Amino acid sequence: MIRVVNSTILEAPIDRVWEVLRDFNGHDRWHPAVADSVVEGGKVTDQVGCVRAFHLADGAFLREQLLTLSDIDTRFSYCLLDTPVPLLNYVAHVRLVPVTDGDRCFWEWSARFMTPPGQGAALAALVGDDIQKAGFDAIRKELS
Amino acid sequence: MASVFTSTVIPAPASEVWDRIRGFNDLPRWHPIVAHSRILDDKAADQVGCVRDFTLQNGDRILEQLVGLSDYDFTCTYTILESPMPLTGYVATLRLTPVTDGDRCFAEWTADFDCDEAEEEGLVTGIGNDVFQAGFDALKRHFGGA
Repeated sequence: MIRVVNSTILEAPIDRVWEVLRDFNGHDRWHPAVADSVVEGGKVTDQVGCVRAFHLADGAFLREQLLTLSDIDTRFSYCLLDTPVPLLNYVAHVRLVPVTDGDRCFWEWSARFMTPPGQGAALAALVGDDIQKAGFDAIRKELS
Repeated sequence: MASVFTSTVIPAPASEVWDRIRGFNDLPRWHPIVAHSRILDDKAADQVGCVRDFTLQNGDRILEQLVGLSDYDFTCTYTILESPMPLTGYVATLRLTPVTDGDRCFAEWTADFDCDEAEEEGLVTGIGNDVFQAGFDALKRHFGGA
């Protein structure tokens, strides 16, 4: 099992960041890797169990399911259902925590998964750089 | 149940900050409101269950027991056994989390306790500002932050 964790401090109030992140279907509006996204079956995006079906900018098609969502703890988690990339048993957690001595917040994004032999390092870099860190940069730009 | 939540960003890696704060008997070394401290019964300062008997700069004496310590999670949890504060069931946790995009860490200090409703606001403000934030400010100064 591989675990990839990235974290940052955003110079923005937690409420503003959470408003963007909690929309499970909103990632095509801010994440540079995501081209388009829809929630399946007419569910709403904050319904736990809903599935987002989306294309990456390179055309790859993925489906992810919302496992947990907490407004009180400002966190959510999701898993990959279908992906052309061999990220197996992939579960990711996103959480925000307020920084009380300033109008800032802490954002941690972690993922656990398995890979075929020999592909661990490359896939860990893909998750850490192209998903998590690229997401941090995009949100920073979105909120600036 | 009253709760206190205080958090900050300290300009040093979590492991370095942890080295400074993990010793349960080390408050006088890093926290400005603590004058002196000792561990009772010849226990080690990282022995879960040990008790620190410490005195604040204003003369107040407090006994606290270490109930959880994790070098893996950079987390320390303790309870108050005796203090001049009008509260019971006090459990506090100090936790560091690495911030991976820079040599800094996120620090959280939380407490839950019971008290009379009339005392709650004063206790929450006093603990949050004079204990938790004052400790964070000292750590930020020590590690070169604002």
